[in-house]
Amino acid sequence: MRLLIVDDESPARERLRGMLGELGDCEVIGEATNGNDALHACATLKPDIVLLDVRMPGLWGIEVAQHLATLEEAPAVIFTTAYGDHAIEAFDAQAIGYLLKPIRKEKLARAIKHAARISTPRLMQATRTANLDHCREYVCAKLADQLKLIPVADVYYFAADQKYVTVHHKNGEDLIDEPLKDLGDEFAAGFIRIHRNALVAEKYIAGIERDADGQYTVRLRETAVALQVSRRHAGELLRRIRG
Amino acid sequence: MNAPRRTEPDSSFFLPDFCAGSMALAIVLIVELVAIVISLGRQAIHDNFWVDLACTSMFLLWVGLGCAMVLCRARPKLARMSVVHASLGALLLLIGVVGIVSEATFQLGSYLSGGLAAELEIFPEHHAAFVFRNIAIGFIVSSLALRYFYVSAEWKHTIELEARARIHALQARIRPHFLFNSMNTIAALTRSNPAVAEEAVQDLADLFRANLSDARQRISLREEFDVAKVYQRIEQLRLGARLQVNWRVDSLPMDAQLPSLILQPLLENAIYHGIERLPNGGQVDIEGSYDGVSIRLQVTNPLPVNERTAEHNGNKLALDNIAQRLELAWPEALQTAGMNISQDNGQYIVQLRFPYTPRSHTAS
Repeated sequence: MRLLIVDDESPARERLRGMLGELGDCEVIGEATNGNDALHACATLKPDIVLLDVRMPGLWGIEVAQHLATLEEAPAVIFTTAYGDHAIEAFDAQAIGYLLKPIRKEKLARAIKHAARISTPRLMQATRTANLDHCREYVCAKLADQLKLIPVADVYYFAADQKYVTVHHKNGEDLIDEPLKDLGDEFAAGFIRIHRNALVAEKYIAGIERDADGQYTVRLRETAVALQVSRRHAGELLRRIRG
Repeated sequence: MNAPRRTEPDSSFFLPDFCAGSMALAIVLIVELVAIVISLGRQAIHDNFWVDLACTSMFLLWVGLGCAMVLCRARPKLARMSVVHASLGALLLLIGVVGIVSEATFQLGSYLSGGLAAELEIFPEHHAAFVFRNIAIGFIVSSLALRYFYVSAEWKHTIELEARARIHALQARIRPHFLFNSMNTIAALTRSNPAVAEEAVQDLADLFRANLSDARQRISLREEFDVAKVYQRIEQLRLGARLQVNWRVDSLPMDAQLPSLILQPLLENAIYHGIERLPNGGQVDIEGSYDGVSIRLQVTNPLPVNERTAEHNGNKLALDNIAQRLELAWPEALQTAGMNISQDNGQYIVQLRFPYTPRSHTAS
């Protein structure tokens, strides 16, 4: 078993490494101290199992797991947490593996034996059950073997074509593998659906124009793009912008 | 948050619920006892004590249960009024019941004049005297009863407030998150560095001793700083170089008294919501100033970018708790004891101020 340890606290990492050394058949191939490093390490080192701290600075453990799930050779994830409040109950309900710190060796051994990939829907379900009200801070694009994180705050709009969704953001565009509907649900607070195939960041909307035919278009800040508003979504858009 | 809920609007009302069965039973019991006392105490109108008792209890039961029924019906309305209005209303209702029952008794007496009733002299003879005497007695007894209900409700309210203060004090205590993280750190250190682990256990013991003591009592500023520094040492083990704390409190009078666990929770907050969330950590500044009258303490910590606008519920609760305890500790000096929270340039700033109170003044 090749394992990656992700925890922002060095005593915690040290202890896990020590215990894994005693278990046998476990090789620690790397350590990461935050979520971003963890994603990079997973993409390059390809561990079998990731021991992932839930509470970390920057990317939250659950968000890291959501991004990991998009990898083709996604590792199994075991969450570790000192005191998880609601998250624990949600993990339990969704049969997601977790360990409570200070971790017992027997429990660690058992968790490793039963470690499994966690699917995105199950994670989403867990966050909903926990009522964490958490939406991701990044969306994740896959570039060959690397995961590229795009801050949601930098996204101008999501555009869907036949099969993919393109993220248009401050540093270009990337393809992501998520349905527009799910994105719309998750980021309902900051994004508005203006068309069957477009989801726009509210804060980048510069203006709405109406032409002679009654057709609305949205102009965006910082880019020269003008996007068509469908008749169906026009009412909702105007309500939100004016309201 | 502690506002009474709509479903039980009268939970804080001073009149008890007279609709309850147990209340009716209590009234019957009290009425019977009073009837016995009256019958025993009064020089028998006629020779037969039992007849006297029967008449008195009959009359008083009508009065007692009638009053209970009226109050049971009127309570929801009375509960919406001010205490003065509700008391006057209740008083009028009770006197009304006494008057009506008295009048009815007299009318019944004159209807049944003659026969056995007259022979036993169980009905009153003088109409106005009987009714007005009863109303006067009713007025005095009702006033006393209402006064009693009011005082006992106040007393219950005070006990509730006391309990709430106790809960506030409990809530000021250390987060379980910290306990389990510390345990984990110590578990790791027992392997790698038993000497440091030993110290950490001692620090943790000190910290919990301070935490388990009554948070309503006052301690000196020096003791409060010591507790905060013990807490800082434990967090330092866990967070390493990510946590820096800069103490600038030398100008303060260390014998100043303050409620315990005022500063330590602020440091805990600064770490939990600030330093711990920053990949590279940061510095917490603890500054104090003293102008001869009051003391100011200021805790400043950097916030992660995405937390800068959001107000955290948990954080808010902890801070409210500290502010309330400060204000309760110096209730007479609302102007000088209190807390101020601000954000400036990504820094979260909590300012406390309270009057300088040396130990001798608090030992009263």
